[in-house]
Amino acid sequence: MPTRDELSKYYSTSAQFSPVHHQQNDWPYEIANGEFTAYMVPPHDVGGQADSPVRYEEKEEELWELNTYVTCEVLGWRGIWNSEERRRRGNNDLGASLYYGFPYYGRWIWSAARMLVDKNHVTLTELLEKVAEVKARNEQR
Amino acid sequence: MSHSHDHDHEHDHEHPAAPMVEEITDFEVLEIAVRELAIEKGLFTAEDHRKFTEWAEQIGPAAGSRLVAKAWTDPAYKARVLNDAVEACKEIGIDWTEPTGSGTPSDYMNLRVLEDTPTLHHVIVCTLCSCYPRPLLGHSPYWYRSPNYRRRLIRWPRQVLAEFGLLMSPEVEIRVEDSNQKCRFMVLPARPGGTEGWSEEQLAEIVTRDTMIGVALPRAGRTADDTRPVHKARRPVPHETEARP
Repeated sequence: MPTRDELSKYYSTSAQFSPVHHQQNDWPYEIANGEFTAYMVPPHDVGGQADSPVRYEEKEEELWELNTYVTCEVLGWRGIWNSEERRRRGNNDLGASLYYGFPYYGRWIWSAARMLVDKNHVTLTELLEKVAEVKARNEQR
Repeated sequence: MSHSHDHDHEHDHEHPAAPMVEEITDFEVLEIAVRELAIEKGLFTAEDHRKFTEWAEQIGPAAGSRLVAKAWTDPAYKARVLNDAVEACKEIGIDWTEPTGSGTPSDYMNLRVLEDTPTLHHVIVCTLCSCYPRPLLGHSPYWYRSPNYRRRLIRWPRQVLAEFGLLMSPEVEIRVEDSNQKCRFMVLPARPGGTEGWSEEQLAEIVTRDTMIGVALPRAGRTADDTRPVHKARRPVPHETEARP
């Protein structure tokens, strides 16, 4: 369990990701139509947005990234999800904060975990227990 | 996450100081957890994962280079490539039905090869995510998946190409193809001068990955893509350099 101080840090960090946190009245009764349209723009549809040049780098692949790619593909191969239905939507429709905040394959593995729970292949408790087990196993090393 | 080496260090304060031993990241933990649960629940087998990994580790741009070199030297083959690229891939040893018998779940078996001419240059992007002809070119470079490349290439193609070091004459039309799940694209660059009489093997050496994305042009003597800064992996895929030139 996180301490009160830790929780406070997490909340203040997530408030920086999400502009809505900065509104005192965060229970809107109505929103302007333009605001609705803005919320509806899918974060992965980036065509035509303004931006400035950056330095394009090559990146070596982490082992977990390759494993994530393979796990997601094999889940598709074995019919657990198909790439259109849950896979692509899961990777992309995360909301702008997670979409831009997570690494590319972070979005993939997050959506795979979420799908396993959504489709009742594992319970949320099983997933959390497994995560804790993997963490403990690696701390022992 | 606390070891992310990107340029954005503003979130570092929320994590404790790095321990002496390199800490496993939350995504590494989640990856192991999902894989192990899927195997324990019988959703797939460890052998399935191993078999797919074997395929994923050997794909790379060398296959695309062979296709381009063969198309440059054999007009009949080029016609077959432009007519049905997936079928024509078989002749250079690439079967799009691998590794499952019906292809990969995400690489829909439809490829269009875009032929450059002296007055027309193609470059590919996927504005919605990262669609890329994996069986021919391997895994996409990370910058290809970046929102920056995706949003800017379709708006300012000449400027973005210039940032890659490719200055295109105003007389050359630039055509950007936006890949999607149902259709993948690859660029067939124009054969450069000074390569008359070369063998397919010699030609393939100058057909680098970037020339098939369209952010570079092949030329005699240019056998590697331009050097860019490399973001090193903390725990890389073993033997990656051998598998992915």
